[in-house]
Amino acid sequence: MESAEDWLVESLRLYQDFHAFDLSGATRVLEWMGDKGILVAGYESLKKNEILHLILPLRLSVKENQGLFPERDFKVRHGGFSDRSVFALKHVPDTRLLVTSGLPGCYLQVWQVAEDTDVIKAVSTIDVHETEGSLWSRVAIFSSAAPGVLHGVRLSSLKVVDLESQKTTYTSGVGDSELLSSLQVLDADTFAFCCTSGRLGLVDTRQKGLQGAQEGACSLVISLAPAVKVAHRKAPGFDGTVQVYDVTSWDGMWGRVDPLFTHRGHIFLDDNGVDTAPLVTTHTWHPDKPRTLLSAASDASLHVWDWVDLRASC
Amino acid sequence: MPEIRVTPLGAGQDVGRSCILVSIGGKNVMLDCGMHMGFSDDRRFPDFSYITRNGRLTDFLDCVIISHFHLDHCGALPYFSEMVGYDGPIYMTQPTQAICPILLEDYRKIAVDKKGEANFFTSQMIKDCMKKVVAVHLHQTVQVDDELEIKAYYAGHVLGAAMFQIKVGSESVVYTGDYNMTPDRHLGAAWIDKCRPNLLITESTYATTIRDSKRCRERDFLKKVHETVERGGKVLIPVFALGRAQELCILLETFWERMDLKAPIYFSTGLTEKANHYYKLFIPWTNQKIRKTFVQRNMFEFKHIKAFDRAFADSPGPMVRSGLRGPARLGPCLQVVFATPGMLHAGQSLQIFRKWAGSERNMVIMPGYCVQGTVGHKILSGQRKLEMEGRQVLEVKMQVEYMSFSAHADAKGIMQLVGQAEPENVLLVHGEAKKMEFLKQKIEQEFRVSCYMPANGETVTLSTSPSIPVGISLGLLKREMAQGLLPDAKKPRLLHGTLIMKDSNFRLVSSEQALKELGLAEHQLRFTCRVHLHDTRKEQETALRVYSHLKSVLKDHCVQHLPDGSVTVESILIQAAAHSEDPSTKVLLVSWTYQDEELGSYLTSLLKKGLPQAS
Repeated sequence: MESAEDWLVESLRLYQDFHAFDLSGATRVLEWMGDKGILVAGYESLKKNEILHLILPLRLSVKENQGLFPERDFKVRHGGFSDRSVFALKHVPDTRLLVTSGLPGCYLQVWQVAEDTDVIKAVSTIDVHETEGSLWSRVAIFSSAAPGVLHGVRLSSLKVVDLESQKTTYTSGVGDSELLSSLQVLDADTFAFCCTSGRLGLVDTRQKGLQGAQEGACSLVISLAPAVKVAHRKAPGFDGTVQVYDVTSWDGMWGRVDPLFTHRGHIFLDDNGVDTAPLVTTHTWHPDKPRTLLSAASDASLHVWDWVDLRASC
Repeated sequence: MPEIRVTPLGAGQDVGRSCILVSIGGKNVMLDCGMHMGFSDDRRFPDFSYITRNGRLTDFLDCVIISHFHLDHCGALPYFSEMVGYDGPIYMTQPTQAICPILLEDYRKIAVDKKGEANFFTSQMIKDCMKKVVAVHLHQTVQVDDELEIKAYYAGHVLGAAMFQIKVGSESVVYTGDYNMTPDRHLGAAWIDKCRPNLLITESTYATTIRDSKRCRERDFLKKVHETVERGGKVLIPVFALGRAQELCILLETFWERMDLKAPIYFSTGLTEKANHYYKLFIPWTNQKIRKTFVQRNMFEFKHIKAFDRAFADSPGPMVRSGLRGPARLGPCLQVVFATPGMLHAGQSLQIFRKWAGSERNMVIMPGYCVQGTVGHKILSGQRKLEMEGRQVLEVKMQVEYMSFSAHADAKGIMQLVGQAEPENVLLVHGEAKKMEFLKQKIEQEFRVSCYMPANGETVTLSTSPSIPVGISLGLLKREMAQGLLPDAKKPRLLHGTLIMKDSNFRLVSSEQALKELGLAEHQLRFTCRVHLHDTRKEQETALRVYSHLKSVLKDHCVQHLPDGSVTVESILIQAAAHSEDPSTKVLLVSWTYQDEELGSYLTSLLKKGLPQAS
């Protein structure tokens, strides 16, 4: 493809490192397991989806002498099969457990990543009481000695369930049936929620009800880089790019802000030849390398890229 | 049960010592004979004790097949044939045959001269070993003997690499060696037809790998070269004669053109000396694009890439020729150079390395594995101070980059190949079965095949049901057709005949014809059963009662009452006689030939139930 070659030449200037992989199925999740492995999972309906634990290529995980490591490939370390589409996947820190959420069927699946084989096995489920069949529960993990699974489809059904005992340790206690779009655990007692309406709020699990809500504040999916530059991906369905913003340069005004960098690789390296360009489904930051991101798209591509800050060269 | 047995040889699970023993249809074939480059003791060789236990190797093995010239696939060949002892045929493709001995000799020199190894195979052994080689062409069926045949398929990966099909009768095995499913700039992609082998043997590491795209690997190479050149540095790229050099030259030429760069690229004439010789071998093995572009001209003739004479490497500017035979003239300084040998252990590449190592602006890009003992291996291990000849210490300040351009298949590629060949079973070598349950399940589910993962030294036995073609005689066919029922694929019908195996011929004929051909007379077997009945009347009346009874019960059969009083049901004869001692008991003699066994038994049990009361 002509434009792919052109883009690649451009990429010499735009990126320090760039890796492009083809997964066997597109993923909507990119979850770290330790600092050398990532988890991906398929979301196709009516077929068996794979959940894979991939080990980063040496070239991407060593801290020094990168040049001496020719290994650029991911290794499939563990795998499992899911009969359902996986829309969310969380690793329970310091354990070998994973929690997934998807459709059909409104429940969470708990998995175990084996130690002596390459199998990811389903071990138990967590009920989510929701009658509407097309809705799936958002998930976040309270990591502690007794990990808790925060989940919910609506504000009213927000719950924290102790992973081991399956006892409920928190309920929102509100009647508001607004749909949730994301959950983020902030510390041992607090979490943030975002609704599909754009409402953003904070919850202290030691208190009743929901605190601090703001309207129209979270229509975007954001993630914070370890070094506080922000990667931002427009809500799924928008386009095939990932944009990086620098929050430290924002003066508090919510006017139009230009991105520091826009990753267009998923559009230009799409080999499928279909008319519609792929859409970016998820992204995550590398835990150790401050400018390295991983992004996945609907064409099953997975990119690992380290962008060049062109401002720095001025 | 006919079976196929596969045993990967060698200790340890690492990739790097390919050698697989296959037994099929009574034939024994060795696939590859590699050396593990990481070990300097016996662990580097496959474990041949497994087969030497069976006596003389030449008698036990029908042939050895080598998939390509990489040392982890052919490195142990001279040791195996000349030191362990094997005099049978060794099959490989032509480019493999041409390149193998060169790599083996290089390796031998390094092992003996640089590492001081004793008990290593000699140059003469390499030559003697190569005398046993029989070169094969792609898609050409080669008869090893009158039962065993082999065929090579294009594997991509490196020049001359092939996948092999081994066939005995209707049983076959396909061994992939190393292959690549996406085309290179200079090689095509692997391809195989829907040959449906009983077994496909391939590497497990492929199945657990998700590869970075070729474009990104190339990008990395270009970026490093470009950046070094931009900052005024020099780039040395040590290469082995062909294949990789060609690929990288094409890559640089393409992008130099696109990026409108002026810095000239050089390759040493050491490369081009062999060029014409390999050219003839190379062309049938390249992809279409190369053939179209290069068939008309020398394949090292580029716009931006020029040859330089080794004699002038030290002068301020080298003597440059455009093309192979242009006039030599003093040219600009070398900046980007491809030079042999690939592991920096001698010659031009080492010479240039010594000159350039002292500057941090310079870079050396190692495109492949380097054997222990070479300078290449040392710098790739991170060594920065090297002891050269004459106790001179060379400080390496130049950037060292290790890049892998080896084209291998990955998980997706394996699935593609399995989809093409449609094997009944898949066997993965160099993996640990205990740790690969998910992989096994994935392959089994996706293709509905059985997946095996033997450890080194472990034998996998597959039962096969080979189909044997049998000719049916016209007479027999006609007879079956005469029965009036049309053949129906969904309703198999039982056919009686005699199978005659003569020479290598199988025929199905009628029993009569078989007896005739064999000059045998058919035995007649007749069974007679006595049924006792309580009947006070005379025998003739008993017989009549039997006749009436059977006539009414057996409506589908021909029941007759003969003038002599006996009753026949088809060809079964029933006679009534009086019991010698008890006049109120009658004895029915039921007699039939063995062909009528079913009816005869049925009649007997029917009569044993007794006759209905006479009206």
